[in-house]
Amino acid sequence: MAYGQVNADVIGTSVQGYSLGAGNSSLLKNKIINGACVIDQRNAGASVTPTDGAYTLDRYKVRVSQASKLTVQQNAGSVTPPVGFTNYIGITSSSAYSVTSTDYFVLVQDIEGFNTADLMFGSASAKTITLSFQVYSSLTGTFSGALRNSAFNRSYVFSYSIPVANTWTTISVTIAGDTTGTWLGATNGIGLDVSFNLGCGSTYSTTAGSWQASNYTAATGATSIVGTNGATFYITGVQLEVGSSATGFEYRQYQQELALCQRYYQTGQYAGAVRNSAGSVLLGGAVTPLGINMRTTPTAVLANQTGDVNGTANTLTSTYVQWAAASGGANNAVVFSYTLSSEL
Amino acid sequence: MYKLQLKYNEITKINELSNMVIRTTDGACIPFDPQNVDYQAYLAWVAEGGVPLPADEVTV
Repeated sequence: MAYGQVNADVIGTSVQGYSLGAGNSSLLKNKIINGACVIDQRNAGASVTPTDGAYTLDRYKVRVSQASKLTVQQNAGSVTPPVGFTNYIGITSSSAYSVTSTDYFVLVQDIEGFNTADLMFGSASAKTITLSFQVYSSLTGTFSGALRNSAFNRSYVFSYSIPVANTWTTISVTIAGDTTGTWLGATNGIGLDVSFNLGCGSTYSTTAGSWQASNYTAATGATSIVGTNGATFYITGVQLEVGSSATGFEYRQYQQELALCQRYYQTGQYAGAVRNSAGSVLLGGAVTPLGINMRTTPTAVLANQTGDVNGTANTLTSTYVQWAAASGGANNAVVFSYTLSSEL
Repeated sequence: MYKLQLKYNEITKINELSNMVIRTTDGACIPFDPQNVDYQAYLAWVAEGGVPLPADEVTV
């Protein structure tokens, strides 16, 4: 057999019952969406100072207990991404803020229950998972993150080390699945909350390395990004997969990744004519079918209104949107751009 | 702050409250869907005593 050749139709893995090749597929093994940080529909690479719960790059939101302590930008600082990547999430501290006991600053991705049900968390069959990522910081030391359930009453805090400043470091954390607690199964709610600590107080800090029945997001004593003015925390290549070891990052095609993101957020434009002069009346044919069904009924925000009258949303569903005129007017045109959000 | 919204019913020919609320800070149309996080935030705001503004009158 030639060097490097594998002559097998089934390749075993570290997970019992899972194999590659003729067995279970390795496609879509990464449960993180936008793990390579390529999609940034909201800000298109611009820097933002996010409010609590605001989404930044697609699928990533920040939870901040204090406003204006950090900024988020795709490829902030324009450092060279790690090999194999072209984008990263860049977080920069805006001040030297000393967190109080109840403060929290975290970067979060909530994974939908439909995509985590196979992990079997909350049962004796809970699977071991591995979270891997590439991280770069101006600070060194022990950093941390956490996995939580939707009710935030089950937490697993993990820690990792960044030994050298301003250098990409590969991190891999293997976590035995939680066999207790209540975890959402195959629903459109939060199946698993994955967070990276940027600075948290004692209320949300604990010893890393075990499942606990409380809401923790940080390891006690972990480095606080928001504690140093100008400190940076960059991350990319985020992957969460079944198994006890990190495998190569799953590169998905751009359109695949965008479509995955559009289940939670999408943008578009509409231009149409008012059918008659009644106020708030439906527009003739003013229906926008959604090419990607959304997770749930989305929130619509309309902008750049340049028609004869303003448009508004008349009917919102996860599969289509129907627009209306915000005021009366015969045969008037409405022209606007819109965003639809059904984030977790 | 939130504001209720009227919706024209083409069958009854009258305006009635729609099944969404407007977030006045950005004009977002928020559907009454328990799975929508913006609606969850609206419900929390109401639970804390918030009262939405009445809907704008629409002349048909």
